[in-house]
Amino acid sequence: MHYISKNNFVKLLEALQADYEVYVPVKKDKQRFYKKFNQSSDNVVIGEVRAYEPLKAFFSRAREIVAEDFKTDKVPSSTNKPFAIVGVKACDLKGFKVQDHVFTNHDYKDPFYIRNRQQNLIISADCTSAIETCFCMALGIQPYPRENFDINLSQGKEGFLVEVGSQKGETLIDKHSSLFEEMPDEALSERDGQRNWVAKKVEDNIKENDIPHQESYKGIIEKKYESDIWKDEAKTCVECGACNTICPTCHCFLLYDQKSPQHMARLRIWDSCMIKDFAEVAGGANPRPKLWMRLRNRFEKKFDFFPKVADIYACTGCGRCISACPAKIDIRKVLKKLVGNAQ
Amino acid sequence: MPNNPYSPIETKVLEVTTETPTIKTIKLKPKEEISFATGQFIELTIPGVGEAPFTPSSRPSVKDTMEVTVMKVGRVTERIHQLKKGDIVGLRGPFGKGYPLDDFKGKELLVVGGGCGFAPLRSLMYSLLERSDEFKKLFFRGGCKTPRELVYRSETEKWRERKDLNLKLTVDAGDESWQGHVGLVTTILDDVDMDYASGIAIVCGPPVMMKFATRKLQEMGFKEENIYLSMEKNMSCGIGKCGHCRLGIYYACKDGPVFKYSKIKNFPNIWD
Repeated sequence: MHYISKNNFVKLLEALQADYEVYVPVKKDKQRFYKKFNQSSDNVVIGEVRAYEPLKAFFSRAREIVAEDFKTDKVPSSTNKPFAIVGVKACDLKGFKVQDHVFTNHDYKDPFYIRNRQQNLIISADCTSAIETCFCMALGIQPYPRENFDINLSQGKEGFLVEVGSQKGETLIDKHSSLFEEMPDEALSERDGQRNWVAKKVEDNIKENDIPHQESYKGIIEKKYESDIWKDEAKTCVECGACNTICPTCHCFLLYDQKSPQHMARLRIWDSCMIKDFAEVAGGANPRPKLWMRLRNRFEKKFDFFPKVADIYACTGCGRCISACPAKIDIRKVLKKLVGNAQ
Repeated sequence: MPNNPYSPIETKVLEVTTETPTIKTIKLKPKEEISFATGQFIELTIPGVGEAPFTPSSRPSVKDTMEVTVMKVGRVTERIHQLKKGDIVGLRGPFGKGYPLDDFKGKELLVVGGGCGFAPLRSLMYSLLERSDEFKKLFFRGGCKTPRELVYRSETEKWRERKDLNLKLTVDAGDESWQGHVGLVTTILDDVDMDYASGIAIVCGPPVMMKFATRKLQEMGFKEENIYLSMEKNMSCGIGKCGHCRLGIYYACKDGPVFKYSKIKNFPNIWD
C-alpha cells in the first residue's frame, strides 16, 4: 500500500500528461462527466459515484475508422496518446469482463480494443457515496474496485490510499516514487470505514427497491420468455437506444462505409439492438419485428446469453440505463418481475 | 498487431454471368489468395457502398479465384449487379465454419436446396463430387419457384448424367418449357432411397423452406444431429463481435452459418 497527498496527486496527473491524455470526472450540476484534465480543472471528483459516460467509450470509440482503402495488414494508427482514465468505479470495471470476452476471447481478436486495453491506464477509485439508482451489490460487485485496475485510490481526508493492481501500476509508482509516501497509520481503517458506509447505502437501495440478487437470476429469461412482461415494459419505449449506448457492457456495433467510391473508409459505430432493423437481413426478414421482442432480446443477451457463454451477467448495477431512459423503463423493476412468480 | 479483420483485400472482378433476371454470378480475383472451406462465407465490399455476406458458389479447391452468386434483394446487392469486368471490390474472410466433410465419410448423403440456397450448395456439390467415392450414396433434391429462377442449368444437366449422383429438381409453378416435376421440394424427397436413420441431410434455402424440409426429414427418420442447416442471419463483422447475427448462444458468423439442427432446435423462433 502506498499513499499520496492531494497536492502530490495533482502533480501526478500533471506528470502523466507527458505520456497520456488524462481524463478526470468533473462535476457539473448533479452529474460527473469525464473531462480532459488540465491545470485549471475545477470540480474534479475522484470519489463519489460513476461518471455519466460508460468507461467503454475509451476502449471502443462511439465512432471510429477501422479500415481504410485496402490496407489489410495495418490497423489505422492513432495519432493521439493513450488515455489515462482517472476515478473509474468498480461497476465500470466489471464492464471489462464482458467487453474483454467479446473483443479478445475468440479466434478473431479486435486489434483496436486490444491496443487500447494494453496502452490505456486505469486509475480507479472507491465510491464514496451512492446515488438512488446504484445497485451494483445485487450483481455481486462491491462499490470499490478489486480487480482490473492499474492503481486504485481510496480517498481520505488529506490524500489517497493507493493500491497497485497491475505491473503497469507498479511501474507508474516506481517512476513517480517521490510523489508517494508511507501509508499513515489510520489510513486503512479510514478506508474500510468509508467502504462499509457506502456498501450499506447500496444495500439500503437494494432493500428499498426490493431488487433481486443475481443468485436468483438463473433461468429467468427462459421461464418468462412468453410472459406479458415484455409487452408491458415495451409500451412506453421510444426505440432511442440510449440504454445501449450508456451501458458499460453493451458492445454491438455496425460497420458503415463512407459514401465515397474513391476512398474507402469503414467506420465502426455503436449500434443498438432496440432499433428495428438491427437483426434484419437484406431480403427484409426480421427475427424481431416488434419492439417488445427487441426489449426481450436485450434482456436475453444480458441475463441468458452472457451467463451461458461467459459465466457472467452482463449488468453492472450502475443504473445508467434507468436514468437515461426517456420512457422510464427500469431494469430493477424488470428484474423483480422476472424473478417473481407472476406470469 | 494482428491483421486487421475489418479491412478487405483488394479484389478484381474477372467476369459477370447473368444466371436469371435477378441472379448474377461474379467471378473474383483477390490480390491475396483466399482459401475457404465449402460452407464458409465471405464479406464482399463495394467501395463507397458497403458490404454484404455471401457463401462462395465456386470450388474450394480453386484458390486464386472465387465466385459468388448474388440475388438482387437490397442496397448492396443492387450495386453488385451493376459490377463489370475489371471493377475493383473488396473481400474479407473466410468466416465461420464450413461443412464437416470428413464427418460425412462412409455415409449416405442427401442435399436439399431451395431458391437462393443453390449458391452455397453448388460449392458443396463440387466438393462432394470431387470425392464422391468417399460417400455411400449421394442425392440432390432442389426446388425453386419457377423454371426462370433455376440457376446453374448447365451444371445440373451435367450432374444429372452422373452415375455417382441421383438428382431431381422441381419448381413450385411450371411453364411451357418445364418438363420436370412441379411442387415444393418436400414433395420430391420420398423416393430418396437411403437409410434415413444413419443418413446425413444438408439443407440450404429460404427459412420457410428449411423449416418444412426439416420437418419432413424428421418424419422420414433423419436424426436431428444429422440434419445440417444454413442459417440466414444478419452477419456483419464476421467475427462474433458486432452482435447482429446472434442465434441463441451462438453467432451465425463464427459458430455457423451451418448448424446441426440438434444444436439450435431449442432456441426460440429460429426460422424467423
